[in-house]
Amino acid sequence: MFYWIYDISTVWLAVLMAVVFVGFSWLGCLFVRPVLHKRVTFERDKNEILGAILSCFGVFYGLLLGLIAVGVWENFSEVEDTTHKEAAAIDALYHDVSVYPEPYGQNLRWLLRDYCRYEIKYGWPAQRNGIIPEGGSTRVRSFQERLLTFQPRNTTEQVVHAETLREFNVFLEHRRHRLNATRTGIPAVMWYVVVIGAVINIGMLWLFDMRLLSHLFLGGLLAFFLSMMILLIAALDNPFRGEFSVTFEALEDVHRIMMQQ
Amino acid sequence: MTNPKPKFAPRWSRREMLARMARVTGLAALPATATALYGCGSRPAPVRVGILHSQTGTMAISEISLRDAELLAIEEINAGGGILGRQLEPIVEDGRSRFDDVFPAKAAKLLVEDKVAVVFGCWTSASRKAVLPVFEKHNGLLFYPLQYEGNESSRNIVYTGASPNQQILPAVDWLLSTAGGNRNRFFLIGSDYVFPRTANFIIGKYLKSKGRAAVVGERYTPLGHRDYKGIVQEIVNAKPDVIFSTINGDSNLAFYDELAAQGVTADRLPVVATSVGEDELRGLLPDRVTGHLAAWTYFQSLDTPANREFVARFRREHGPDRVLDDPIEAAYAQVYVWKLAVEKAGSFEVDRVRDAFRAGIEFDAPGGRVRIDPKTQHAFKRFRMGKIRADRQFDIIYESPEWIEPAPYPQVAFPGWRCDWTQGGVTQGPEVQIGQGY
Repeated sequence: MFYWIYDISTVWLAVLMAVVFVGFSWLGCLFVRPVLHKRVTFERDKNEILGAILSCFGVFYGLLLGLIAVGVWENFSEVEDTTHKEAAAIDALYHDVSVYPEPYGQNLRWLLRDYCRYEIKYGWPAQRNGIIPEGGSTRVRSFQERLLTFQPRNTTEQVVHAETLREFNVFLEHRRHRLNATRTGIPAVMWYVVVIGAVINIGMLWLFDMRLLSHLFLGGLLAFFLSMMILLIAALDNPFRGEFSVTFEALEDVHRIMMQQ
Repeated sequence: MTNPKPKFAPRWSRREMLARMARVTGLAALPATATALYGCGSRPAPVRVGILHSQTGTMAISEISLRDAELLAIEEINAGGGILGRQLEPIVEDGRSRFDDVFPAKAAKLLVEDKVAVVFGCWTSASRKAVLPVFEKHNGLLFYPLQYEGNESSRNIVYTGASPNQQILPAVDWLLSTAGGNRNRFFLIGSDYVFPRTANFIIGKYLKSKGRAAVVGERYTPLGHRDYKGIVQEIVNAKPDVIFSTINGDSNLAFYDELAAQGVTADRLPVVATSVGEDELRGLLPDRVTGHLAAWTYFQSLDTPANREFVARFRREHGPDRVLDDPIEAAYAQVYVWKLAVEKAGSFEVDRVRDAFRAGIEFDAPGGRVRIDPKTQHAFKRFRMGKIRADRQFDIIYESPEWIEPAPYPQVAFPGWRCDWTQGGVTQGPEVQIGQGY
């Protein structure tokens, strides 16, 4: 929905969000606050009642933000872990097929290198844009076909082949998890709750009765804090997008080692 | 009397405050806006180019390397700034070694849905013939990098591999010569599709025209065939001087294995292959193939600075154990040939690019200078004969002194047929019947 925010660097995104949130707060202070003061009246001490309501609301909203932040962080870590496991499985596969008799060993090795190169050069950038390109699957099929043409001739080869097939399945599983994570993100409805909550939070501040400058300062401070919390969630959400995203360093390392061997 | 200043009077009026905030906000937003505008306006959209090879199935062993070479050339061109200021975006499709259904469907997808400016693709003639009507229907442009059997010309195809008079016939001439062992008894074996059938038809006609040589046997096997026991026995019984092989794909593994198993060695009965290059040798055991021959226009062992640089570059990208061969070199070079044509035309439009070939496009390929013949849209090539070494490379044992002009219709097999796109196109001769309806 708002994927364009991932095309901006995190620093600029932080500036943009701070400007939007603080600007919204300040504009409300200047234009909405006078109207609210005239229309909304309280029988007893206004600031005391508003403070109590805001505290209560703040607890629920803070909990919500905190839980979401933990959730997206856990998801981010999980996806990062999956890419590491996929890289580790490829490394293990590469070593397994290295002991295959020629020409199978060489063919399988370069098919694996080809897969890594493709994912690093083409697959990864596409995944950062939420696209799952077919090239990776084609290369996996190509490797699988070649692997299945091998006929073990003795017990040692049978054991190695069985282990390679097992490792290949492990690799497939991690790869599938990584691809599934391409479009993972917190649901739109949750984003609505977060944004509406932030608006209510800022809006309630407009009801307080205090000097304009203090109002601008305190409102701006709260709006800035909210913007940073939401920035944190947005940056961690969609683990493959944006500047702060899961990297392919593990696969690059494996590919580099393969190329040096 | 003036009013006393209120104790908590603000420093700025509301109006002043508003003006200041607007200024601050504007200043903060300026860099972001500039960045966004720069990002939107500075880079023209990339040009899509299609790559269509079998990446799975029986032909994958050969075709994957062509894809890699074409991608390498595209990456190099992009790194150098693209073509006419535009980057190239490769769209890679898998023909799945299914020539009749998948290849034409993928070609149509590339041309109609992806709207690619050009397609680099195919290996087998069966796949090329299957996609040809698609390219003619949608006025697409296909660059085909393989040596092939001739008997075809299309305005929508640029043939950058060798035509029969640049590979098959010079190989036969060499075998008939003293240097080639004065061999007169040819056994022809091939995969059962259009290239081997037509190539062997041309060889048969050519040998007949020479008078002193003969075809002592001719056999075809399906692509992917693995049982050559009976056929090798048949070859041994026919007592040929040479086996001329047009077997394609991973069937070669079984064929050479069976030859070795039945004691057929290169010094006694050499195989001259037209579809076994260094890339295919990776899949063959050296002790089964050492000493046998292959006819091509390029070998990795070609000792020139340009070729050494090309080999190093390819290996740097794809690994130190990767090898290059004739189709790979042609696949790489043809991307640059297209680039030169586009630059000459000043446009990516198919008609204008094709017209640019009339001016004569030449490119310094790793294997030597390549020139596209404006008459036939085929490449001028130099013939080379290679002998397989134990390290899965070739010793170049013969090289034609000059590049050979392409002739897609060898007159010995297709009398009266000619192609000249500068003067109207194909001149048809009498109808020629090749076995099995090819």
